[in-house]
Amino acid sequence: MRKNESIIGNIDWPLLSGYIVLLVIGIGTIYSVAYDPEHPNLFDFSQKYGKQIMWLAISLFLGFLVFLIDSDIYQKFAVPIYLFTLSLLILVLFTPPINGARAWLGIGSMGIQPAEFAKIGTAIILARFLSTSNIKKQDRRMVLIANGIILIPMALILMQPDAGTFVVFTAFLFVLYREGISYDTIIIPILNAIPISSLRFKQTWIGTHFIPILFVVIFLSVITLLYSSTVISIDFLDIEMGGYWGVFSFLVALFAAAYIFMRSTFTRRDRKRAATIAIIGLLLSVSLTATVDFGFQKLAEHQKDRIELVLGLKEDPNGDDYNRYRAMAAVGSGNFSGKGYRNASVSSVESNHVPESETDFIFCPFAEEWGFIGTFILVILYIFMILRIVFIAERQKSVFNRVYAYAVAMILFYHFAINIGMNIGFAPVIGIPLPFFSYGGSSMMSFSMMMFILLKLDSQRKDVLN
Amino acid sequence: MNFDSRKYVFIVIFLFIGVLYISKLFYMQVIDDTWSLRAQVIAEKRRLITPPRAVVFDRFGKKIVANRTYYNLMMVENNIVDLDTVAFAKLIGWTKEEVKQRFIDIVANEGEYYNRHMGKMDPNYRPYRSYPFIKELTSDEMVKIAPYLENYKGFYKEVTSMRDYPYGTGANILGYLSEVNQNEIDKDAFYKAGSRIGRSGIERFYEKDFRGTKGVKYIITSALSATIGSFEDGKYDTTAVQADPITLGLDVLLQGYGEKLLKNKRGCIVAIEPSTGEILALVSSPNYDPNLLVGNRKIKENYPKLLENEDKPLFPRPLASEYMPGSTFKLLQSLIGLQEKVIDENTGFPCNKSVVGCHNHPSAQSVTDAVKMSCNPYFYALTRRIIQQGKKSNDNEDAELGLDIWSKYMHSFGLGKSLKTDITGLRPGLIPTPKYYDHWYGHHNWKFSTIRSISIGQGEVQVTPLQLANMAAIMANRGWYYTPHFVKSFGEKGPKEEYIIKHKTLVDRQHFDPVVEGMRRVVYEPGGTARRARVDSVVVCGKTGTVENYRGSLKLRNHSVFIAFAPMDKPKIAISVFIENAGGGGGTWAAPIASLMIEQYLKGKVKPSAKEKRILDAILLQKER
Repeated sequence: MRKNESIIGNIDWPLLSGYIVLLVIGIGTIYSVAYDPEHPNLFDFSQKYGKQIMWLAISLFLGFLVFLIDSDIYQKFAVPIYLFTLSLLILVLFTPPINGARAWLGIGSMGIQPAEFAKIGTAIILARFLSTSNIKKQDRRMVLIANGIILIPMALILMQPDAGTFVVFTAFLFVLYREGISYDTIIIPILNAIPISSLRFKQTWIGTHFIPILFVVIFLSVITLLYSSTVISIDFLDIEMGGYWGVFSFLVALFAAAYIFMRSTFTRRDRKRAATIAIIGLLLSVSLTATVDFGFQKLAEHQKDRIELVLGLKEDPNGDDYNRYRAMAAVGSGNFSGKGYRNASVSSVESNHVPESETDFIFCPFAEEWGFIGTFILVILYIFMILRIVFIAERQKSVFNRVYAYAVAMILFYHFAINIGMNIGFAPVIGIPLPFFSYGGSSMMSFSMMMFILLKLDSQRKDVLN
Repeated sequence: MNFDSRKYVFIVIFLFIGVLYISKLFYMQVIDDTWSLRAQVIAEKRRLITPPRAVVFDRFGKKIVANRTYYNLMMVENNIVDLDTVAFAKLIGWTKEEVKQRFIDIVANEGEYYNRHMGKMDPNYRPYRSYPFIKELTSDEMVKIAPYLENYKGFYKEVTSMRDYPYGTGANILGYLSEVNQNEIDKDAFYKAGSRIGRSGIERFYEKDFRGTKGVKYIITSALSATIGSFEDGKYDTTAVQADPITLGLDVLLQGYGEKLLKNKRGCIVAIEPSTGEILALVSSPNYDPNLLVGNRKIKENYPKLLENEDKPLFPRPLASEYMPGSTFKLLQSLIGLQEKVIDENTGFPCNKSVVGCHNHPSAQSVTDAVKMSCNPYFYALTRRIIQQGKKSNDNEDAELGLDIWSKYMHSFGLGKSLKTDITGLRPGLIPTPKYYDHWYGHHNWKFSTIRSISIGQGEVQVTPLQLANMAAIMANRGWYYTPHFVKSFGEKGPKEEYIIKHKTLVDRQHFDPVVEGMRRVVYEPGGTARRARVDSVVVCGKTGTVENYRGSLKLRNHSVFIAFAPMDKPKIAISVFIENAGGGGGTWAAPIASLMIEQYLKGKVKPSAKEKRILDAILLQKER
């Protein structure tokens, strides 16, 4: 009994409070959106709000079990748990597709989505693997295994196909970065094979900061795409050139500036290195943008359209851009103080202008009803929770706990950023739920379990001596 | 190696995204209203509500144009669940094949558009929109269907309003409504597909006074165009306002009686209240029941029949038929002669049949008697004096001057130009001017002897029955008229301004007395041409006309014409009657019909008599002798 009391005493109440507040707002929003005048009871299980409450109850029960079970088991049974979730991901591929994807196990509305639970399995085994005492984070085999752990479920999810969750799994790469996984063991042999200079690298920035750099690369690609189908004209020079050349000139200017900056500040030895880095960086960026541009031009027209829509280069209110156009209209129409609870005229289920407004687009009715006041509070709440998890992660003595906590933080962040991003035109429309908010049993259960395991691990952090 | 400092990379990313998102949300929700406006376009719809058209009363407050509720049977394909076609067809009284065909037709009627995405033509039809399955069901028809409608999901009834004419008369006056065409929709935002617009008669002339003010309802609609609720509890809604009731000068019983009298005859009757210019009756025969042209279904069925009928029931004879006025014209010749001082009251001309044919009667010794006896040679001589006044030595030039004077007088009587009556389809008639004859004969190449038939209302002169009735009103008023008009009052506002302007003729008041006395003698004295026009205890003044007419060189039966007003003092009704190819003279058919109309109007009913029976029984549709 002493142990149980200590659990309650050691629970991170700020995080738990944030979780509960989000749940309440979420169910309130579902009640508003899916309200059926013939079934006004919040606990009517024939309605979505009733069902969501049922899912919540199941989640809380699972959470209760998590608190009863000693946290050691996650570390002990990490591999079986991971293999179990993988086997579910394989199993689901043999089910008949629903809406074009084999994502559901079970019957009808009582089914579960294995991909949601695979996040927990992957988080646990990643924590288990990175917390292994004899791990060498610079070892190529280790890097490959760590990435393999992430890539196997990703591949299985892509086969469903579920692009949204696939993207979400890249969140784990950031966890590897936090733990210091370096990609040098892969990159250096490749670099050294290129006869650019007589230098032999022992360590590169790219390898060390591979993940952030990877996302810079993605960012650059997007910029390229933004400009590749445009024409840049410089009036006073009477020059017209394709968008790609604009990006190219920009890159050359950027790296030239970087080189000049480095020359004036670095020592002689570093200067040489800086020159090499600048040239390699330039070449890589240029070839990257060239590839992206070339690839884009090679795409079929409808794929181009799709990309242009995603990037907001094009508007097609009634076609491919239908969902996002209407979602943004709904969000924007909330104005400062919103239209009031249960007054969403664009995004209620009844009006149906925004599809999936109780699941993937649930941010819409919330934003419409509560306006900027509501969305401001909600964004703050999510950011607070994510930062709180980082804070929790950093106070762990055990590497296992820290890796797990970072995984939770990143998954949560991805869901938050992509889901809200697609409602405000910052992210492509890929169907992933808003954590604790969207209607749906699997996401409710998996996010709750994830959260409760974290709270449990955190509450026992003092018992663990790793 | 310690990587703890990398937590800042994470914290920076999270804060960056948080700030970025809040900024964007602030921009979208608070600063930029683009998205709000888009939301309005998406979810808020203006629904326009058309009020029923104005109702119409006659001069005694009888409702002659009303609105009746009709029903459209609407359907939304997406809402139809397991339609039992056989049972449904039985319910609406169709065959199964007709029901199936109707579904196909509805889709076909909507047409197609080019779908840019698919690169092909796609139907405009949308299974989630509502379309009328059957239009314009009467209450009786709907009563049979409505109780079972709930068994057929996806079908529902919609109320519409259409015209109803309780008296079934005055079709050519009231006009009919039909659906607007695309051109009308484009020109006037009031109309949308399916709106009805006045197609003829006063419904067309006063379209804007009939249609009322539209109401606007702001509603929130779903993506499937279903109504979800009113916008902001109807704060911005306006109600549809029906136009004020319109009161006509028409006496619907007189109108109906006139139509009854003209059954089996071609012709028309126009009755005017002289003191106001209000049209009391305007009968065109043959005519039709205005209820035949209510709603698409009936128009489709009946309009072609009416159009093809060789007696042209759709043609508004009183307004648009131009006839020679015949001897009724002699009244005006007398007045002009007196005003121009080419004769005085007691001027006599011999009845010289060598110039122009006449019937047997003593020579008229005064203008009054000349009118009474309708002596052709007298008016021949009289008109010669008007046209050839001898002001110029050259006969041709003299005639030019004389005709110019003469035509100005005629114009002042509302002849030779369209009266500005409040109805469409008016014709101007014809009063020849010097220019007119110059065109035919050449400048200064004609004189009175060339154009002499105008003296007795034959030849080139043409008038419409409405103008003829107005002429009678001028006689009744002794020299002035209000433009004949239908609408007595819009609500309480009275008629349009142009109908309270008094028009004076160029003939002075005192010259009317001998002519009007002549009109009295026409009816009451031996030798008068219209003794059949008498009405008990009322003094009727009238003038007959017998119009000869030809088809090619074949002489057809004469038109029988009569104009009259009564009572002689303080006249209450002025009337013109025109019976085509009736045979006989003006006194034979037109005069008794006029007297019956006067009796009906002044006494409210007609005592059954041999005279009435003779008219009702007469069939005068044969043109040739």
